[in-house]
Amino acid sequence: MTPNLRFISFKPLGYLLGFCLPFYLAGCAQSPQTLLATTPSFSPIEVQGTAAEWRAINRLTYGPTPSLIADIKLNGRPKEWALNQLDAARKASLERPRLPSDLVSINDSLPTIFDGARKEREARASVPSGTPINEQVVNEKRFHFHDQTEDLFYNRTQVNKAIAWRLASCSSDENEQPMLARMTEFWFNHFNIFQQKGTVRPFAGHYAINVARAHALGKFEDLVLASAKHPAMLYYLDQWLSVSPQPARGGQSPRGLNENYARELMELHTLGVNGGFSQNDVRELARLLTGWTVAPRAQDGFQFVMRLHESGHKTVMGKSFPSSAQFVGLREGEEAIRFLANHPATAQRVSRRLAEYFVADLPPKALVDLMASTFLTTGGDIYQVMKVMLNHSAFWDPENKLYRTPYDFACGSLRALNAGNDRNKWLQAFGYAAVSGHGIQNWQTPDGYAFNANTWFTPEALTRRIDFALTIARNAPERSDLYPYLSDSTSKAVMMQAPLQRMGFVLGSSELVFK
Amino acid sequence: MTLKAKHMLINRRQAIFQSLGMGAFAFPAVSAMASSSSTSGRIVIVFLRGAYDGLSMLVPHGDARYAQIRPNIAIPQPDGTLKTALALDENFGLHPACNALLPLWHQGVLAAIPCAGSPDSSRSHFDAQYHWETGKPGSSSPSDGWMNVLSGMVGNGAGLHALGVGESSPRILSGPRSVQLVGNGLLATRPGTLAESKTREAILQLYAGNEKMANAMLEGANNRMSTAAMLKAPNMAASNEQQAANNGAGSPQGLALDAKHLGVLMQQNRQLRLGFLSSGGWDTHINQGNVTGLLANNLNNLANTLVQLRAAFNEPNDLVIVASEFGRTCAENGTRGTDHGHGNVMWLLGNRVQGGKWHGRWDGLAQNQLNEGRDLPVHHDFRAVLAQALVASLGLPRTQLSDVFPGYRWDVMLDGIFKT
Repeated sequence: MTPNLRFISFKPLGYLLGFCLPFYLAGCAQSPQTLLATTPSFSPIEVQGTAAEWRAINRLTYGPTPSLIADIKLNGRPKEWALNQLDAARKASLERPRLPSDLVSINDSLPTIFDGARKEREARASVPSGTPINEQVVNEKRFHFHDQTEDLFYNRTQVNKAIAWRLASCSSDENEQPMLARMTEFWFNHFNIFQQKGTVRPFAGHYAINVARAHALGKFEDLVLASAKHPAMLYYLDQWLSVSPQPARGGQSPRGLNENYARELMELHTLGVNGGFSQNDVRELARLLTGWTVAPRAQDGFQFVMRLHESGHKTVMGKSFPSSAQFVGLREGEEAIRFLANHPATAQRVSRRLAEYFVADLPPKALVDLMASTFLTTGGDIYQVMKVMLNHSAFWDPENKLYRTPYDFACGSLRALNAGNDRNKWLQAFGYAAVSGHGIQNWQTPDGYAFNANTWFTPEALTRRIDFALTIARNAPERSDLYPYLSDSTSKAVMMQAPLQRMGFVLGSSELVFK
Repeated sequence: MTLKAKHMLINRRQAIFQSLGMGAFAFPAVSAMASSSSTSGRIVIVFLRGAYDGLSMLVPHGDARYAQIRPNIAIPQPDGTLKTALALDENFGLHPACNALLPLWHQGVLAAIPCAGSPDSSRSHFDAQYHWETGKPGSSSPSDGWMNVLSGMVGNGAGLHALGVGESSPRILSGPRSVQLVGNGLLATRPGTLAESKTREAILQLYAGNEKMANAMLEGANNRMSTAAMLKAPNMAASNEQQAANNGAGSPQGLALDAKHLGVLMQQNRQLRLGFLSSGGWDTHINQGNVTGLLANNLNNLANTLVQLRAAFNEPNDLVIVASEFGRTCAENGTRGTDHGHGNVMWLLGNRVQGGKWHGRWDGLAQNQLNEGRDLPVHHDFRAVLAQALVASLGLPRTQLSDVFPGYRWDVMLDGIFKT
């Protein structure tokens, strides 16, 4: 109750009046004063009309396929439709993904993937010295995977298949529940890994599916733990090598602590850089996690090695570990991760990033606070946090604008062209994202891609977006079901074009460049 | 919008259109600057992503241990032919694939610093590159690139002072100050669909309700057309045009073309004082080869690129700097390659460089002289090398150096690397 009242009082009266656009809100028959007095905790305003439909489709999914438009029209209530999407996404996240048959190897068991990587290592070691390996061979066949994968190129093929799955899942409702595709992107990026780091390569697709997708609308702590134990993350941030001090032996250098993962776990995955942790906390957390490493033969790819674990007491953010004799070794690390995942600073950070991704570059504080308090009271239940967001008027407020990132625009274009299974168009979408600096799963550092207009709305980037739109849509059939969603001036400009040129202009319009 | 305001907007658009429609584009700032010779220099960074093997480029042939610990990949002792190292002095030689650099060494404009690098011990490419590009070793926190910071301190007033060619958004140039970013390979030379006035007009109609979009579109189209125009003959020699564009991270082959573009653009627009180029393909864990092979090909491309840059940046204070995020192991590994190490060789090229010699500390390859017994040590912080360069080339006051590299220390052992 309190958070919502705060929200109302934060905004001047004109803000509420701004909601009363024709066809947009049913609640506008009431005066703003009545609204203030009678607003229930959630859902102060019922949402209606084409603008709300457009917003729901473009923000919760990557954009309008013919079937989504038909579906939301049939429903007639955009917010109810949005909440249905959320339920459907959660349900789908608990089921196996519908992978196209030539991409299934990205979701092979982890021992199988480790085995593929080992065979590649062996194949490469047997190449005579000085013989160049043409690494481009694999990329030239990108998105066509009929041939048997050569051992030499197993890892890179896995990468290309992982990229293919991201394109398949973002662009077609048959391949993936459309809102789940967006949630998967959000979490992959939040727990970013870089698929071009050699050891990470074969696992990138498995990570997207079994970490980001599987826990997309579950408990946040389960998501952090899944990421922490996945080979992709263990390799990416070097956790697999972080051990209690080991003397040199057998020609190997002495080994010891590596703080890389512990730092990012606090700075990026949970608390945030201003979340109140010190360098000493980083070190203590790294000590807690010593012995967490990869296990090529284990089903989950993970093992805890007590011999490599640093025993003794550690203190993270003022909390003492292990908390009891039962919680030593692996358990103390898990307990520390749960503690960080449910910290108030984490609730704020995760809620703010979700609101930035789905609502506005600078989301209203009241919305973020409400999401964060829900996060804390539900034990970090992402589904509940998202529900609060969808029920909040800020989500539906036309003043809260978002600019599509290049990846978003690439996926949205495929959807608008109904080209979710057209692999030649995938290649164009992939290339556009890459030249725009938003290569798919290709950000090197653990902070993930930015998703605000400051980063992506630049003059040269806009011209490349227009190039892509006009090229990929050349000779595409019209989508007259989209026309009711375009402004009068956009419609006029589109209709001036010959019918087979129109889709390019629809894609390039501000209605699809923004969302 | 009032009728009058609408009218004014249309008039302004017409003005932009006229300048675009002329075919020849007006670059007032550019042409005014081009003739005046600048008193202070320009700096170009060539960053080799993936950690290049410095001990293959600057070969320590004077150290007997070099051949012992690299049984398959060492470059043989100089014998005066191109099948061995090219002797520079009793300690070091050049890889024969870098033959083109030998004249620059003898002219005294090329110098090496054998044991430079980051004080941070990370062997993660991504961390170390991030540290290098932000100028903040050890910190993964979100931070601006140091060239972006520096671009706000050089040149006078508005206008762009830094140019990146190749990568779409390298960390080293990212931050609040506007910089010019040009696509890699042939991407830079393509003005795009909006080069056609009919398309521009149609898109302008499409954005009739959104002035911000319309203006951004026109500005972007203008930038790309002017870049493409500048990169046309006669500014470009024809020889490199046929090189194919390289998608993704620039390859060593793509580097030469990007360097060509960078040289032309910085020649045409003298407000640009800082240039950035990069290439990948240096992470040679397996089968790196020796006199020939994978690495030799890359080094050959690098050498050709540097010769090209030398031609474009030959004014008194111009400077080209070559570096990687860290070095590689001194010994070869079990797969005839090298693994991630620590210190590495940095190169300086320019008239101000005290060239024809190497600088700083070198203690040889004895195991007890190496970092953790395996890597070149870091005797000189990369920031200390860069700090010397910013003072010598750009004339940056020493008091401002800590704004670019917080916490760096001036290294007096490097005081002789530039002529005064």
